[in-house]
Amino acid sequence: MRTRRLAAALALALAVLLGSPGVALAAEEAPNPILPQPPELIWGAISFAVLFFLLWKFAFPPMNKALTDRSEKIRSSLDEAATVREEAQTILADYQRQLADAKGEAGRIIEEARETADSLKRDLTARAEAEAEEQRERNAQQIAAERDRVMSELQSQVAGMAIELAEKVVEGSLDREANLRLIENYINSVGGNGSTPSDSEARSGS
Amino acid sequence: MDEQRVDGYATAMFEVARVEGSLDEVEDELFRFARTLEGNEDLRSVLTDDAVPAERRRAVVADLLGDRASPVTANLVSLVVGAGRARDLPAIIDRLVQRAAAEHDKVVAEVRSAVALDEDQRERLAEALGRATGKSVEVKVVVDPSVLGGLVARVGDTVIDGTVRTRLDQLRETIR
Repeated sequence: MRTRRLAAALALALAVLLGSPGVALAAEEAPNPILPQPPELIWGAISFAVLFFLLWKFAFPPMNKALTDRSEKIRSSLDEAATVREEAQTILADYQRQLADAKGEAGRIIEEARETADSLKRDLTARAEAEAEEQRERNAQQIAAERDRVMSELQSQVAGMAIELAEKVVEGSLDREANLRLIENYINSVGGNGSTPSDSEARSGS
Repeated sequence: MDEQRVDGYATAMFEVARVEGSLDEVEDELFRFARTLEGNEDLRSVLTDDAVPAERRRAVVADLLGDRASPVTANLVSLVVGAGRARDLPAIIDRLVQRAAAEHDKVVAEVRSAVALDEDQRERLAEALGRATGKSVEVKVVVDPSVLGGLVARVGDTVIDGTVRTRLDQLRETIR
């Protein structure tokens, strides 16, 4: 559209120049070829004015608008680039902050893990020592109990052997006379007639 | 066997012995037989085994008591064994002995000794136990070698123990 208007203005200006009477007057006299004739100046001025008017009316506004649009576009692009750069810087800053945070978090996690490991190690060590101590005590108690049991069993066996031996001795020495003496002692003791009571007598009621 | 049946058998045997005029002898023999039965597991298992025919059980009793006890004693034991009541024979005989003693206003003292007692020792022992218990006592002696020496007397619920066996048992417990 703008190109069509510009072409029309140039065509009109050309037509005005071609129709100028100055061209015919030049052939009749021999004026100074350097100085233009007054009509030629007038027509030239008019043509210039018309051409300028036409250019000012039809060609300059689109050109100005194009330049303005171009400037706006460039400014917009520059603004957009600045915005993008700022956003990029913001993102970079965020990224760097997140990276720093991540590094800090990683350090904290590692430190926590180290502390947890140390604590766990101390707990396990303490527990193992406690269990070992408890096991030692249990072993000592079992040994003591076993020793007591063996001693008791041994004592019981010795007592049994002693009693069996005593029984054999008693059976061998208890002849009829000794038995009769025991019976007499029993009768005298039970009867309570003043005789010395035998140690082997006992009374019980059920 | 319930008390009534034990009492019935004891009464019947007591009356038979008394009618036969040999109560003391029969009572004594029955008492010794009861103690023998208690102490001899083989004899007890044979006489109480229902699978053994009654005739066979009676024959065992006859072999055992034929020449060692009076015919009345042997017949009474044979009667109870043949009736299949051998398991309760000690209880029946104990009831009979208590009844015979009560007949004379006496209580029975079951005395165990490693050796047999003569009549004088029995009388003095009965007298001594009578003084100790405050009752008139009739002594029944069981010869039991396991007591080793001395005597142990049971009068009702009272036990007066003076045996070497008990002394040794007490010594064993003390040492343990």
